[in-house]
Amino acid sequence: MKKILQITLGIITSVGGFLEIGSVTTAAQAGASFGYQLLWAILLGTICLIFLVEMSGRLAAVSKHTIVDATRERFGFPFYAIVMLGMVLVAFMVLVAELGGIGLSLQILSGLGFPWWAIPVSFVVWLLMWKGTFGLIENGASLLGLVTISFVVAAVKMHPDWGSAGHGLLPTMPGDQKAKYGFIAVSILGASISPYLMYFYSSGAIEDKWDESYIPMNRIIAGFGMTFGGLLSMAVLVAAALAFQPRGIDIDKFEQAALLMTSALPKWGFYFFAFSMLFACLGAALEVSLAIAYFFAQGFGWNWSEDLEPSKDARFSFAYTIIIFLAAIPLLFGVDPIKVTLMSMALTAATLPLAIVPFLFLMNDPIYLGEHRNGWVSNSVVAIIILISFVLSVISIPLQIIGG
Amino acid sequence: MRLKRFLVVETRMRAKLFFAVPLVFSTVCKPPTPAEQMDSVISWLATAGMAGDAWLRHTTPDKYTRQTLELSHDTLLQISDDLLKSRPPGTDTASLDSVLTRSRGRIAQMARLVEAKNSPAFLSQLDSLRVDEKLVKQFSDSIKSKQ
Amino acid sequence: MKLVRDVLDKKLIDREHCDMSRVSGLVMRVGERSQPHISHILIGGPTLWTRVHPALGRLSTRLAQLWGPKRKDLVRIPWSRVMTVGKDIKLDVKARDIGALDWEIWIAQHIIERIPGGGNKEEE
Repeated sequence: MKKILQITLGIITSVGGFLEIGSVTTAAQAGASFGYQLLWAILLGTICLIFLVEMSGRLAAVSKHTIVDATRERFGFPFYAIVMLGMVLVAFMVLVAELGGIGLSLQILSGLGFPWWAIPVSFVVWLLMWKGTFGLIENGASLLGLVTISFVVAAVKMHPDWGSAGHGLLPTMPGDQKAKYGFIAVSILGASISPYLMYFYSSGAIEDKWDESYIPMNRIIAGFGMTFGGLLSMAVLVAAALAFQPRGIDIDKFEQAALLMTSALPKWGFYFFAFSMLFACLGAALEVSLAIAYFFAQGFGWNWSEDLEPSKDARFSFAYTIIIFLAAIPLLFGVDPIKVTLMSMALTAATLPLAIVPFLFLMNDPIYLGEHRNGWVSNSVVAIIILISFVLSVISIPLQIIGG
Repeated sequence: MRLKRFLVVETRMRAKLFFAVPLVFSTVCKPPTPAEQMDSVISWLATAGMAGDAWLRHTTPDKYTRQTLELSHDTLLQISDDLLKSRPPGTDTASLDSVLTRSRGRIAQMARLVEAKNSPAFLSQLDSLRVDEKLVKQFSDSIKSKQ
Repeated sequence: MKLVRDVLDKKLIDREHCDMSRVSGLVMRVGERSQPHISHILIGGPTLWTRVHPALGRLSTRLAQLWGPKRKDLVRIPWSRVMTVGKDIKLDVKARDIGALDWEIWIAQHIIERIPGGGNKEEE
């Protein structure tokens, strides 16, 4: 039964995927601009992530190596260096956006502008990593992230037309604003299929000391965890479709999104939104910081673990300290976290093949996975994801320019 | 014995990377059409209205409401300037300017009334803003029909 | 054994099961009367970055001379110390003794331990 408690790894991973600043603002934009029409994008992102995360966990449990370990060993340092450059650059932008998201949540609660929150927020994130263990971060972030269930409550209370919502689960072309529709669809996929989630999950499996006996539970955790996040993201879209679309409100700024639940939950709606974003972005910030530090540590062969005292894994601790400090700087200068998140989603979509293509090779390598290699179902799904990722990588930047 | 240093080793897999898109890109969108600008105006007028409603129901804090109203005002000012410069077709620009200026004035007043915690006066301004919103929608329909 | 597949970039584990970096490069000895054979494993930044581009290797060397433990030469581990080659490479050495943890110790002593809550690397 202890294994079922590991569900928290699934929850924190999906919070970082579906409920961070980028996902929530794009889901709100999608609902406000196109009603239920883009639910399929969230569904597609969820399905892709379930498979990718399950595979990440399986690789770690069987081989006791993370994706980063295996990438360096199988493909060599020069290739790893290119992947590292791409992934770390994008993940760093996401970190800036998440720290900014925490700052924006505090801004709407206190009235004090987000640049003033940059240093305190970064310090708290750093302190949690410095003094905390992996278990504390995993369980704490998951528990706090449960406040996001308020999105589902709000959506249900607004009495959506479930039939129309169901139709939204299938892709349809919009009547007009095709470029904007395409841009939001790509952003949703870029926000949800983020490679750093895979790196985090596989490292988390090692931190939690998984072995082959965790393989069945890994499927449940990946499935349940990502479905949890996906459903909450859909709830944001549905609530936005009901709250904003009838009024003709387009979501351009965080302050507008904050009104999401004010009609459905009159007394507490605003505060539920603010605290949901605060805790979700906090979980995401911890996850991304760890993912970047893991990338360096595992790739270069340093000692690493959140459970160790900082001096026992000095280079790993130094890495996340520097990363968090650097991420605070753009926010101090008032760089808009929403703009950063939009850029990071387009870049994620553009660099997705860099992460997924080598991953397909790893998941079929008998040295790492033995008899637990991918079957034809998993391979087919990854092949489809690779196809989607190439399409996204070609269209994401032009769409950002035309439809953004 | 001669020692030959063998430092550069070929990696096994030389992966061909398809960078379909350059990493340097611009977030500058193409300039919006008058119809799109009118949609933005309606969006921000509605935002001010929705924030106002929420404040009257004691759902949102004073600071947030005031800041959102000020943000709406400033954004509307920027969009109005660009919109009127482009002389949208199918509409009396002077009348449109008049309605937009009046709406912005109401929103600015609403922000001051939040600070003063004057709900009755705030409600009155909000009702008038709703009327302005309907007028702006008519202008928007007229511009869209001419495009 | 295929050197690139089985040795290069693999994680090195010492006698006390401590992680001690990855194989950056290899030294091959070519003698007049003997078969070419691997004599040493190399670890460290300069060797690693040279594999991407020689200029990056030179930059790495220069930076290592300005900051950090300032080793005079690269860390070389005799091939005779290799015990097993599998998913990881197990060595019959102590990581500290051969200089594999110089950077780790330097950063721990000069930076991490000076920050409150950083701990003490010497405590075991």
